[in-house]
Amino acid sequence: MEPRRQKFLARLALAVFMLATIGWLARLDYAQKISTNVLDLIPADERSPEASLVRNLAGDEQARVMLFALRDPANPAVPPLETARQFAAELARAPAFAEALSLADSSSRKALGQAIFERRFKLLLPSWLGRRQQEFARTGQPAAQFSAWLSEHSAAELEIFLGQPEAMPMQDLVMSDPLLLVPGLVKRVYGLASSGSGTNGGTALVWARIKTSPFGEAGQQPVFTAIDAALARIKADRPGTEMRWTGINRFAAASRARIESEFTALNTISILAVLAVGCLLVRRIYQMVHLVPVILLSLLGAWTVSTMVFDHIHILVFVVGSLLSGVAIDYGFYIYMQPALRPGEPYAEKLRRLVKPLLASCLTTVLGFSLLLFSDLPMLREVGVFVGAGLLCALAAAMLYFAQLEQPFLETRRFGRTNGGETSRISPGWVRGALVGAVLIALLGPWRLHWRDDIRDLEIPSPELKANDAALRELFGDSEERTIFLTHGATVAEARQHLAAFLVHEAKIVPQGNTASLGLVFPTAEDWQALASRLNALPHFAGDFREALARHGFTPSAFAGFFAEWEKLQANPPAGDYAALYADLRPHLTGPLALLYRAEEPMSWFLTIVEGNRAPVVPPDLHTIAVSQLESLNGLFTRYRWSALRLSLIGLGLVIASVFAIYRGRTGVRIALIPAGSCFFVFGMLGLFGQTLNLFHLLGAFLGVCLSHNYAIFSAETARDGLAPPTAIRLSALSAAASFGVLGFSHIPVIHALGTTVALIVLTALAVVELEPRARCNAARARGAR
Amino acid sequence: MSPLRRIFFSAGLLLALGQAAAQTASSTETTPPVSPEVTALPVIADAAHDPVWRDLLAQLAPTQTRQARFEERRYFPFRSTPVVLTGEIRIVPDRGLSLHYLTPRSLVLIADARGLLMRDEEGRERAAPDDSRTQAATTALVNVLRFNLPELQKSFSLHGRREGERWTLGFEPRDPALAETVGSLLLSGEDLQLRKIELIRSARQRIEILIGETQDNVIFTGDTVRRFFR
Repeated sequence: MEPRRQKFLARLALAVFMLATIGWLARLDYAQKISTNVLDLIPADERSPEASLVRNLAGDEQARVMLFALRDPANPAVPPLETARQFAAELARAPAFAEALSLADSSSRKALGQAIFERRFKLLLPSWLGRRQQEFARTGQPAAQFSAWLSEHSAAELEIFLGQPEAMPMQDLVMSDPLLLVPGLVKRVYGLASSGSGTNGGTALVWARIKTSPFGEAGQQPVFTAIDAALARIKADRPGTEMRWTGINRFAAASRARIESEFTALNTISILAVLAVGCLLVRRIYQMVHLVPVILLSLLGAWTVSTMVFDHIHILVFVVGSLLSGVAIDYGFYIYMQPALRPGEPYAEKLRRLVKPLLASCLTTVLGFSLLLFSDLPMLREVGVFVGAGLLCALAAAMLYFAQLEQPFLETRRFGRTNGGETSRISPGWVRGALVGAVLIALLGPWRLHWRDDIRDLEIPSPELKANDAALRELFGDSEERTIFLTHGATVAEARQHLAAFLVHEAKIVPQGNTASLGLVFPTAEDWQALASRLNALPHFAGDFREALARHGFTPSAFAGFFAEWEKLQANPPAGDYAALYADLRPHLTGPLALLYRAEEPMSWFLTIVEGNRAPVVPPDLHTIAVSQLESLNGLFTRYRWSALRLSLIGLGLVIASVFAIYRGRTGVRIALIPAGSCFFVFGMLGLFGQTLNLFHLLGAFLGVCLSHNYAIFSAETARDGLAPPTAIRLSALSAAASFGVLGFSHIPVIHALGTTVALIVLTALAVVELEPRARCNAARARGAR
Repeated sequence: MSPLRRIFFSAGLLLALGQAAAQTASSTETTPPVSPEVTALPVIADAAHDPVWRDLLAQLAPTQTRQARFEERRYFPFRSTPVVLTGEIRIVPDRGLSLHYLTPRSLVLIADARGLLMRDEEGRERAAPDDSRTQAATTALVNVLRFNLPELQKSFSLHGRREGERWTLGFEPRDPALAETVGSLLLSGEDLQLRKIELIRSARQRIEILIGETQDNVIFTGDTVRRFFR
C-alpha cells in the first residue's frame, strides 16, 4: 500500500473511532451509570447472608437516617428542647425529608407503649404461656396440675415483683396485667437503657429520615440545603445555637468529592512524574506529546466498551482504570522509540518488525485480564473489561497514530542509551549472590505475609467526619460496650424462630446477661399457633389464680378488669395470620423504633443488643451475624481474594503458556521468569517487612506482572546479545514506576495498595532486565579472560 | 464507604422500647393525685425567711456523711398488707444517696446527680432512663433528702407543722407530671432526726420509709463508697 493511502486510512480509522466513542460517551447519563456506593462492589446475586443483609440494610430505610445534636452554648447544661422541636418541624416540612422528630418528644414512645399494652394478650401472652409450659414440664407434675401450678407461680412472681424498684411506677399497670406480661418485657429490654431519650447532658437530639437514597445526588445536596435552611431559621431566633449532624449522605458526598480531587491531583502528579522521567531520558521532550493521543484513545476505548458492557460501574473502576495509561503508554514508547533500521525505512516495514513483541505483549496481557471476567467481584470484572479493552485500543491507536508521522522516532539522550559497556563492572559473583538472595526472598518471604480484607479499605477515609459521627452516635446511645447482632430468616416467622434460638444460646453463654431485641415483643409462630389450644387447656385458671392471689396477700377483686378480659380471651382466643401481628403493630412504630426489625420477604431480620464487648462469632445454625462482621465483610472478601488469587494464578499460567508458544527455549524462560520472579520477590520483601496485604495488592501484582511481562518481551532481543534493554523499556518502566509510585501516596487504601505494589514490581523487573544481560556479558568476559 | 456503622446507630435507640413500655404504666393514670395529708398541713410561704423553719431546715441539710437502717412499706391498692423491705441508707453529700435493700433481696439503689442506678448483688447495673420525667423525679427526691431549700421551693409547695421537738414537712409537686410520678411527699421527725418519709399517691398507694437510728459523720471506706455509690 502506498504510504499516502496508508496514512489516510489510518487517519480515517482513528477519526471514526473517536467520533463513535465520543458520541457514545456524550449521550450517557453519568449520574445513573456511575455508582459511588461501595455495596455495588458486592455481587447482586451474592448468596452469603452477610452480603444479603448488608445490601438489604443499605438499600433500606436504615441508610437514610440522619442524626442531629443541638446545644445552646449560653446554657451548656440545659438541653434546648424547644429549639430541637422547632428544628425537627422545619426539617419535616422540607421535601427532602420523610420524617424528623425531636427525641425528647415521647409521644411516639408512649403511643407504642400503649399499643403493646393493648395487644399484650396477642403479642406477649403466647410466648409467656409457652415458657411457663416448658418450666412446668421440667417439674415432672401431671398435666392436670398445670393450671394450679401456673396460678401459684404467677401469684408468687407478682409478690416478688412488688419488692422490686420498678414496682411502684408500674402499680397501676399491674392491676390489668398481674401476669406481668408488659413488666416482663420491660425488664428484658430496659436493662440496656442508658440514653437515647432525647437529651444527653446539655444536648437535645433530633432524629430524621430522608426520602431518597443517601448515595444518590437527590439524597445529598437537596438534603444539605434543607438542613442549612432549617438551621438558618432557628438561628434567626437563637443565633447562638450550635448543631452537629451526621448521615451516610455526608460520607457519600465527601467520598465522591475526595475521589474526584484525588483523581485530578494524582493524575496531574502522575503526568508530571512521567514528564520528569521524559526530561531525563528524552532529547526533545515536546515530542512526547505524540504519546498523549495514544493514551487518550486507549482511555476513550476503555470507557466506551465498559459503559457498553455494564449497566452500572463503580467510580473506583475509573480510578483504578486510569492506571491503564501506565500500561497503554508502553506500546507508544516501543513503536515511537525504535530507530529505523536504515534511512527511509517505511513505517509499515518498521511495524512488521515490531509486531511480534507488540502482539505478544498486548494479547497475553489482555488474556490475563480477561480472566478477571470470571471473578466473583463486579469491580474486578469491570476492571478486567476496562483494562482489556483499553490495552487493545492502545495498541491499535499506537499502530495507527504513528503512521501519521513522517519520522516516528523519539530520540533519547545519551544517558538514556547508556549500555554500561566498558564502564560496567558488575562482578558475576555479586550477581549470583544477589540472585540467590532474591530467589530465597521470593520463595520464603511470601509465607510470612499477612492477609486481611475489609470492605472499609474501599472507603475514602474522612477522619473528621468519622470522629463527628462517632461522637453523635455516642450521644444517641451507641457504645462499644454493646455488641449488636442481626438474626435473619427468609420469612418473619423463620427470623423470629432463629431469634428465639439465638436468645437461648446467649442465655447459656451469659446466664444473667442483658440482651434486648424488639423481636421480644412478638411471639414465635409456634407459640402463636399454639395459643388457642393452650388457653383451652386452662379452663379453671381464673378460679385457681384468684385463690393463689388471695394466698399471697392480694385482693383478687382488685384484678376484676384482668379477669373480665381473661374470660373474653378464653371464649374467643386470638387467631389469624402470624405476619398480621407485625402489620398490626407497624403503624405504631415510628422514628428510630421502626428500624429495629424488618418483617418482609425475602429477608426478615431482628436486631439484638447484647451488653458487653462480645466475640462476634455465633454458630452458623443460629442465622445470626454480628454487625462488626457485617461492617468489614472480612469473610466475604477473603473468599473473593482466594477467588482472585486462583484467577491470577490461572492468568499467570496462561500468560506463561502463551509466551512459550511464541518464544522458545532460554528466551521463553527468561520472559516467563522476569515478571513472576519480580512479583514473588516483591511479595517476599513485603512479607519480611511484616506488611498486611489485601485483595487489591493482589490486583496490583497482576497489573505489575503484566507490565513487567512487556519489559521482558521488549528486551528479549537485546538481552540475547548481552546488551542493555532498549531505551523505550527504561523510559516506559521508569514512567510506570513514577506514576504508580505517585499513586502509592493516595489516601484511598485501594489505590495506595495498587500503586505501591505495581511500582515495586515494575522497579524490580526493570532492575532485572537492566542487570541480567550485563552480568551475563561480564561473566562471559571473565570466562574469556581466564 | 461502608454505611453499616452509620446504619446501626439506631440500635442504641432500642432502649426507647423499654421506656415506651414503661410509660404504659402512666398512660393508664388519670389525674395527678393530691394528698390531703399534705394539704391539711399549714402552708410555709417562705421557708428561707420563716424563723420556725429556717434553722431546722438548714440543720437537717446533710453536710456530712450519714448512715441509718430503714424499713420500707409499700402499700398497693390490690394488697391487704404492705410489702415490707428493709435495708440501709447512706448519704455522702457530694456523691448522693444510696439505698441498700437487704430483704427480701439484696439490691442497691443510687440516686445522684447523674440519675438513678440499680446495682444487684453481682454488681450488674441498670440505669434508669435519663428522660426528663425520670430525671425530674430523681432530682426532686435527692433535693428533698438533702433539704435543698432553694431547689425544693422551685419544684414543690411546702407545708409543715411543728409541735415541740416533733415536726412534719409536706411537699406538694407544682408540676402535675412530677406529682404523677412521685406523688406528694411527707417527711417527719424529731429534733434533727428524720424518722419517716412517705410518698403518697393515694390513700391506698403509698410508700412509707421508717428510718432507724442515724449515725452522722460515718467514715465510709473506699470499698464501701465503690459498692454503694458511683
